[in-house]
Amino acid sequence: MLRNMASGLRSLFRKERVDRELDEELRDFLELATEEKMKQGTSREDALRAVRLERGNLEVTKEFVRAALWESVVETCWRDMRFALRTLRKSPGFTAVAMLTLALGIGANAAIFTLIDAVLLKSLPVANPTQLYRLGDNNNCCVMVGTQNGGSFVLYSYPLYEELRDRTPEFTELAAFESYLSDLSVRRRGDSAAEPYKAEFVSGNYFTMFGIRAFAGRLLTPPDDSSGALPVAVMNYYTWQQHFGLDPFVIGSTFNINGVSYTIAGVTPPRFYGDTLRSDPPDFWLPLAAEPNGRLHDAKLEWLYVFGRLRPDVAPEPVQARLTVELQEWLGSHRKVIPERDWKDISQQHIRLTSAAGGVGQMQTAYAAGLRLLITLSALVLLIACANIANLLLARGSANRSQTAVRLALGAPRHRLIRQMLTESVLLALAGGAAGLYVAYVGTHAILLLAFRGAHYIPIDARPSVPVLGFALLLSLATGIVFGIAPAWMASQSDPADTLRGAGRSTGDRSSVVQKPLVTLQVAFSIVLLIGAGLVTQSLRNLEDQHFGFVTEGRLIVNIDPSLAGYTPEKLYGLYQRLEEALPQIPGVLRASLSGYSPLGGNNWNERVYIEGKLPDYRWTAPSWDRVGPHYFETIGTRLLRGRAIDERDTPVAQHIAVINETFANRFFVNENPIGQRFGMGDTSHNGDYEIVGIVEDAKYQDTRGPAYATFFLPLLQTPSGDQLRGWVGAIELRVAGKPENLEPAVRKILADVDPNLTVLKMVSFGEQVARNFNQERLIARLTELFGLLALILACVGLYGITAYAVAQRTNEIGIRMALGADRGNVLRLVLRGALAQLGLGLGIGIPAALAGGRVLAGQLYGVKSHDPMILGLAAVILAACAVLAVSVPARRATRVDPIVALRYE
Amino acid sequence: MPDKPSDLVQGTLDMLILKTLALEPMHGYGIAVRLEQMSKGVFRLNAGSLFVAFQRLQRAGLIRSEWKATENGRRAKYYVLTDQGRKRLNSEKREWGRQVAAIARILEAS
Repeated sequence: MLRNMASGLRSLFRKERVDRELDEELRDFLELATEEKMKQGTSREDALRAVRLERGNLEVTKEFVRAALWESVVETCWRDMRFALRTLRKSPGFTAVAMLTLALGIGANAAIFTLIDAVLLKSLPVANPTQLYRLGDNNNCCVMVGTQNGGSFVLYSYPLYEELRDRTPEFTELAAFESYLSDLSVRRRGDSAAEPYKAEFVSGNYFTMFGIRAFAGRLLTPPDDSSGALPVAVMNYYTWQQHFGLDPFVIGSTFNINGVSYTIAGVTPPRFYGDTLRSDPPDFWLPLAAEPNGRLHDAKLEWLYVFGRLRPDVAPEPVQARLTVELQEWLGSHRKVIPERDWKDISQQHIRLTSAAGGVGQMQTAYAAGLRLLITLSALVLLIACANIANLLLARGSANRSQTAVRLALGAPRHRLIRQMLTESVLLALAGGAAGLYVAYVGTHAILLLAFRGAHYIPIDARPSVPVLGFALLLSLATGIVFGIAPAWMASQSDPADTLRGAGRSTGDRSSVVQKPLVTLQVAFSIVLLIGAGLVTQSLRNLEDQHFGFVTEGRLIVNIDPSLAGYTPEKLYGLYQRLEEALPQIPGVLRASLSGYSPLGGNNWNERVYIEGKLPDYRWTAPSWDRVGPHYFETIGTRLLRGRAIDERDTPVAQHIAVINETFANRFFVNENPIGQRFGMGDTSHNGDYEIVGIVEDAKYQDTRGPAYATFFLPLLQTPSGDQLRGWVGAIELRVAGKPENLEPAVRKILADVDPNLTVLKMVSFGEQVARNFNQERLIARLTELFGLLALILACVGLYGITAYAVAQRTNEIGIRMALGADRGNVLRLVLRGALAQLGLGLGIGIPAALAGGRVLAGQLYGVKSHDPMILGLAAVILAACAVLAVSVPARRATRVDPIVALRYE
Repeated sequence: MPDKPSDLVQGTLDMLILKTLALEPMHGYGIAVRLEQMSKGVFRLNAGSLFVAFQRLQRAGLIRSEWKATENGRRAKYYVLTDQGRKRLNSEKREWGRQVAAIARILEAS
């Protein structure tokens, strides 16, 4: 084997000598055989002939002997490649167009695949991610009470987590962490201003469970996560790099976090982003023991996700069964923490163990459908590009027909011809693929910016990873074969005799048998893409331009959290008074208001209500609610329909009142006047707490597609029994004159004047806040538009190409027709007929295909039917108009054919 | 791989070349002529298969080649059996004998 390789390599590198020796040896062989024959008395000529018949022809034998060796394959490939390179260099125009088309086609696919790889395929950058399992199978979030949706437990209270951790030895580590990120106000010792950051509270064994080591310093350990431990925090590498310039003195230094002094224990490794792939991952990880809301020992509140590392010798199924038993036992012995109405569901509660190799699958769930749609669309674009290049190659193949014929006549085997042409197309595709990687890099960047509008940091690397490189390589190879095979086959099928006899002067030729369906297919694909682009664009426009129940123009939203600045509930009233007084003083601010949260900012509270004089009604999901200050509805532009809004009269000590929206009114007060009715939260004993004084129009606070939720609004600090926790303000709304963004510095200054510790967590215009709800829709719409445009251009180029080629081929025929009396109109019709037939056929195939495909899309569309006749018609008209324009150029050229010149042609 | 019947012919040719060279080093034409003579004209080999076999045997290290003057003063490539080739020839001869005997037994069985 080794000797074979060595000898093969030698003959590759000393090819000439080896060839010469073989040549000499064979020549001798045949010479000796000839002499032998001549000795028997034949003439030399006859002897030579006889030997050739008996022993074989010298050249053929040489070829045969050489072909028996493996290195000959390498050699022919090499020769094919050099020949292909030469051919491509000879037609730079074709090469450039083909490469550009391919770079765009392959680039688009590689860009989408980069995202698919990052979001759907990649594991967390931790040790042995496949050993990680999550206790739960959905992404229900935040804080819950009682039994959980469908019985599948996902959120855990800390006592329940402790129980599971201590009773399940099959996990080497079982760690818990908050299901959401918390806002932090952080000031490094010596800095004057506090900055907003994101944090995640995690159990002490969190990093041990992931099996990662600190990049610098140390990570959290269980002793850090015990009451009375010195507060320590771990910093994200990215935060260390971006905000602290990799300053080594950060480690071990003291930071003021939410008013408490923390020591920075260490920094995580560079690529680590925590347990969930998301934009803006945590900047800090803090021990659960430091959780500020006192949730740790509350057995009622379910707010933690749980991950575990399974021992390598343990199968997940028995562990899942065991966990369910443990859960049941715990729930059974803790009935007092579960609301009575959930008791009947306890026996259905169970734990599903799911792989956590990719972390919490938030982004996976959110983007899987969109990514699948995009990869389908980009594959369509690539197919159209392939069809185009195949057409170009076919046209060129026909032009090179005489060359091919000569080679066939000289005895070149057909498979060699096919191989050589395939080499050319694969080479072209590989070059296009290499260029496509650059397109992919730039494209991924752009896509990430579109998809995560408003994010500071996205832990997805736009640089092509190894799987992406492999994908691009495979795709290029496949592309090269797909668009190369038809032209190669056509060329090899040509009959040398026909061609050499001059059959090139025919009225049509065989390559059009393939070309025409290709163009038809292109038209069909393009119309599908155009209709798709039209639908998603219209859907996005409907979403963005809908009546939300508030006005976004000229509004600025500021997010704050007074608890981070050390406010206690009894100090809030003073703070709100000062804010309400100071904010309208800012020049340009017309109205200012405070609220718990603002619409479509990612927050939503809901709570069951108990209405005076009515039985509790559990049929509906609990209504949403918000706390709002005076002028709130005016400031955000929600109309008051009846009664009055919340205003300055509604102080904490005044009579407790509420404002409800239309849906709330219609749901709970059918054929009744809601004004003057009373309701409350918690249980029936509270049903007289708040009196309804007004009704406002419906507004969407969370779901942009469905109808507005039933919602009620309470004054900022009116709480029934001194439950002070429920008066925190999270948002400031400002109605301003001019561009909202321009007011940012002034607002910051006034807030700092009111209280320098009051950290601005976020400040965006209302329009931008709403726009960020549509990131995914916008991404899909923009990319589909781009793909649709590409498809349109490619289809037109295809139609132009095939028509121009047909005109060139038929110059002769056109000349004869004109000489025989055909006028320009006849010629124009002759040329257009073919192209328009393909256009019509393409539309005929594409529109039903789009209608069928549209049904898949229907679930993602808003306010537009998947068979919207306007969009269908518009797409068809645009495509037809562009196509006619593309075809008319060569068609007009045909009408200008001079019969005399044409007849002399060739 | 003499247990695969499809290789029998190829294997046979290689074995016959080795056998021819066991007597003395020879050039290509000489081998062809000797094979024809010894087989009384049953094997008339064309240059192609012969030279492919030479290359194969050389690559396997069973024969080697050297350029030498022929009896009538011309330069020719002579093939020489290596030690390894001699061993192979002996083993192949044994295997061949075994197979022929076996085949004969099968054909004669009634």
